[in-house]
Amino acid sequence: MGQVINNIFARSFRSLSRGRNVSGYLMIAPYLLHLVIFLGYPLVFAFVLVFHRWDIITPMEFAGLKNLTRLIHDDLFFKALLNTGFFLSIHIPLQIITALFFADLLNKKLKGQDFFRTIYFLPVVVSGVVVAILFSQLFAFENGYINGIITALGGERVPWLVSPQWAMPSIAIIVTWKNVGFYIILFLAGMQNIPASLYEVASLEGATTWQRWTRVTIPLLNPTMVTVIVLSTIGGFSLFIEPYMLTGGGPLNSTLSAVLYIYNQAFYFNHMGYAAALGFAFACIIFTIVFLQKRFVTKDMYS
Amino acid sequence: MKKITAYTALVVGALIFAYPFVWMLSASFKPEYEIGDMSLMASKWTFASYQLVFDTIPIFSAFLNSIIVSLAVTGAVLFFGSLAAYSLSKLKWRGRDTVFNLILFTMMVPFMVLLIPLYTLVVKFGWTDSLVGLIVPFMMNATALLILRQSFLTIPTSLLEAARIDGCSEWRILRQIVWPLSIPALITAGIIVLTANWNQALWPIMVIRDEALMTMPQMVLLFTVGGGAQARLGPQLAAGILLALPIVVIYLIFQRQFISSMASTGLKG
Amino acid sequence: MLVADSHRRSPLPLTCFVFVLLFSLAACQGQEDSRGGTEGVIRLTYWSSQNPQERAVAKLLVEQWNRENPGIQVIVQPLPAGQSSEEVLLASIVAKTTPDVCSNVWPGIVTELVRANGLVALDQFANFDSLMSSRIPADLYDRFRSPDGHYHQIPWKSNPILLQYNAGLFRELGITAPPRTYSEFLDAAKKVYLDEDEDGHPERWIGNRKIHPIWHERRFDYYAFYLAASGGTTFDLDGKFVLNESVSDQVFSLFRELWKNEYYPMTELKGDPFDRGLIATKLVGPWNIARLRENATPGLEYAFSPIPVPDDYSGPAFTYGDFKNIAVFSTTRHPEEAWRFASYLVSKEADLLLLEYATQIPIRSDILTDAFFADYFAANPMVADFAGLVPNARGVGHLRAFPEIMDALAQQFEAASVFGVISPQEGTRKAVDRIRAIEDWNQ
Repeated sequence: MGQVINNIFARSFRSLSRGRNVSGYLMIAPYLLHLVIFLGYPLVFAFVLVFHRWDIITPMEFAGLKNLTRLIHDDLFFKALLNTGFFLSIHIPLQIITALFFADLLNKKLKGQDFFRTIYFLPVVVSGVVVAILFSQLFAFENGYINGIITALGGERVPWLVSPQWAMPSIAIIVTWKNVGFYIILFLAGMQNIPASLYEVASLEGATTWQRWTRVTIPLLNPTMVTVIVLSTIGGFSLFIEPYMLTGGGPLNSTLSAVLYIYNQAFYFNHMGYAAALGFAFACIIFTIVFLQKRFVTKDMYS
Repeated sequence: MKKITAYTALVVGALIFAYPFVWMLSASFKPEYEIGDMSLMASKWTFASYQLVFDTIPIFSAFLNSIIVSLAVTGAVLFFGSLAAYSLSKLKWRGRDTVFNLILFTMMVPFMVLLIPLYTLVVKFGWTDSLVGLIVPFMMNATALLILRQSFLTIPTSLLEAARIDGCSEWRILRQIVWPLSIPALITAGIIVLTANWNQALWPIMVIRDEALMTMPQMVLLFTVGGGAQARLGPQLAAGILLALPIVVIYLIFQRQFISSMASTGLKG
Repeated sequence: MLVADSHRRSPLPLTCFVFVLLFSLAACQGQEDSRGGTEGVIRLTYWSSQNPQERAVAKLLVEQWNRENPGIQVIVQPLPAGQSSEEVLLASIVAKTTPDVCSNVWPGIVTELVRANGLVALDQFANFDSLMSSRIPADLYDRFRSPDGHYHQIPWKSNPILLQYNAGLFRELGITAPPRTYSEFLDAAKKVYLDEDEDGHPERWIGNRKIHPIWHERRFDYYAFYLAASGGTTFDLDGKFVLNESVSDQVFSLFRELWKNEYYPMTELKGDPFDRGLIATKLVGPWNIARLRENATPGLEYAFSPIPVPDDYSGPAFTYGDFKNIAVFSTTRHPEEAWRFASYLVSKEADLLLLEYATQIPIRSDILTDAFFADYFAANPMVADFAGLVPNARGVGHLRAFPEIMDALAQQFEAASVFGVISPQEGTRKAVDRIRAIEDWNQ
């Protein structure tokens, strides 16, 4: 049966595919079909949903601008936005400094650097679920590993995930720990592209280590820097598993992230229309931020 | 002297990134009441934590589901992605540039916009509680397409022309010339898609409710937060180890390819 | 090498074909019916609760049913795993994967399930009234009437919430009677407080509650205390949300005191902290007796008392009843048979099994007087403590979007009671404002 159908297809295909452009269309067709169904349609439907009230179990109702007026008055929407900003303001600098530090070490061409690179990259390939389980113990207040170390050194225990002040910084530390290996590799690749002659000139002119960094390395790493900042920003807005598993968005909504809030609205309270509106709002904000970052952090991103 | 400082820093870094996993592994074999201890050693080693995991959740079927889903997605992405990439790089047809720009544009659409409408679409198709709902929406991937296209562009057109003169169909050219010359790109794209898919948890928790159809990340997540672990730490850590183990083993074998693959997504993005 | 073979088949169309096939196959999968009967045998799917004790009861009952009814074979499955059974049931309504019968339906979501046309109205069946009146008085089963006038659930078990306390520890500390009022409760909390290493933080607490603002957790603390202090008045007054604000303030204040003085810990305690002697009280339903019977440390002495009330409260003890009822889902192809099976689940014999295995209280007005159950209660006086409270156990009423209402209260509970960043009065006021907005939205 399959054979027969296949033969029919094959014959009609052959008669069709005399020209190279027909093959071209046929080969891109599955991709485009999928694109239309699973990206084009949802995108249009998301826009439709913004103007509707829908709990997914009863028929959709037109709601005009109700979702949007609700959004403007929704404290939690702004809270999620502020939380994301707070997260990024810790995560991005921490990530860049740590990644630069280790990338520089790995760039010294010491023996065994492959081994260290492998280890630094390990958390990147592991699921966020595993990382959350791990840190729920490491960052536990009572009997937590890290607080154990701190008290052994004579310090006060830190209320990592349980205080509204510490919870988001803790999550920023966890996410940095998980992702920094990736950014180390990016910076390392960037550093290896810097011509050695530039450093030679710098040392001939008597530049200090600090000047070598600020005058040569960092300016020449600018394109990588933009990539790192843009990717981290998008990552910050997509934050989900860590707050979902570790804090449930609390304490006092201090770790409520954009995606977690969308998820709660859609799956706890069945507000599909409102969740779609939230998705659009957050997406517009990301677009603007990323656009500004590309614009102002560098002038010659594409050169 | 400088060297010693550098090595010290490197070792401290290695401890920061690897020690938590070592501790996790050791703690998962400790009796529950000793997990709070700082030491890596236990008074006795036990499988009790793993026993509880195996007794409460069908982790083995989750493992199979994960394998089915990640292999199906990766296979489909590579197959359809290379068809499309070949068409976009080596064949000439009207509207090609427009289509390519369209695909580039789709990469900029944040996933959170699609989250809800894609979920309702999957509901409409009746794909909730079915592995199809985890596979089909992710069968195409623009990142993979770009990586493959980039690689295909480096293949000299004269080679393809020669084959065409010999009467080869485009499909056969793709299969017999392009693929063998693009194995590194296929591996790169494959690794990226496979890792992302193996670790995916958000989409499954939306689409799958039936325990028999859950993949590893979802099952371990629900086991941890949903009371299956009875708030006991050992079983949570054990479940985490089981989830991490397959991908870590593959990573340690192919670490060079992993690192360069992942880096290439960032460098071209 | 690359010479064309004129008879080769190009696999490209095959690929497209496979792709289309996969799509259509997948599309069909949603409609495939696993309950298709073979040779006249009707198959029903029944979801029971997940805990091991109830699974055992369900298994026994289904085995017996299948022996006696060869023409109607039932397959029993535990409710699929999820954060809560409410979330799972709503999701399965959406996905149209509901079973024929489920015995773990919380009344708080029945209103939503009915709106979604997810449930079969049970009063259409001839023997509905006789079955109901044989179990419970009319005013009680009237509480489960849906706003549309029909009944969609068989009241099954009530699970009143009580305060479980460590009797041995209380005696040791000189607490002679279990705390009845807020003052007595705080007093006991002070005595239980133990800071052995003198770091300013205790290692023993009067109790603990999850501090994450998860709405369904608040049924067992805020809502149970609210019902106890308000004389059993639910939020539902003829379909309108009504909150007694001064009672809500009192409950918020009590819990503020508990957290402020570190009588309740801020962090999650691993394992079973009651069993380990870390906490002295716990808010539980009768199901916990079965759990303790199987797992408690030998020598642990425990007992139960009603939920504490404000000092000026006078009147009988009320509490929250975590009702779980039986419903027939409208996806069933055999409503008659599903109904017959559902009513089989509430026979006297089935009720006794539920008591014996799961120590959960069936909703039966005569349960403490009927000779059939007398032996059981004589042997299990603690379960009788719970059963005696069933008439004063209150559920949640029929408000729309109840989970969202509880979420609004949970958010303010966290702010006012757990962290104390706003006053109890402010917490109540903010919750009410939010709930009014939810009601407006649902208009």
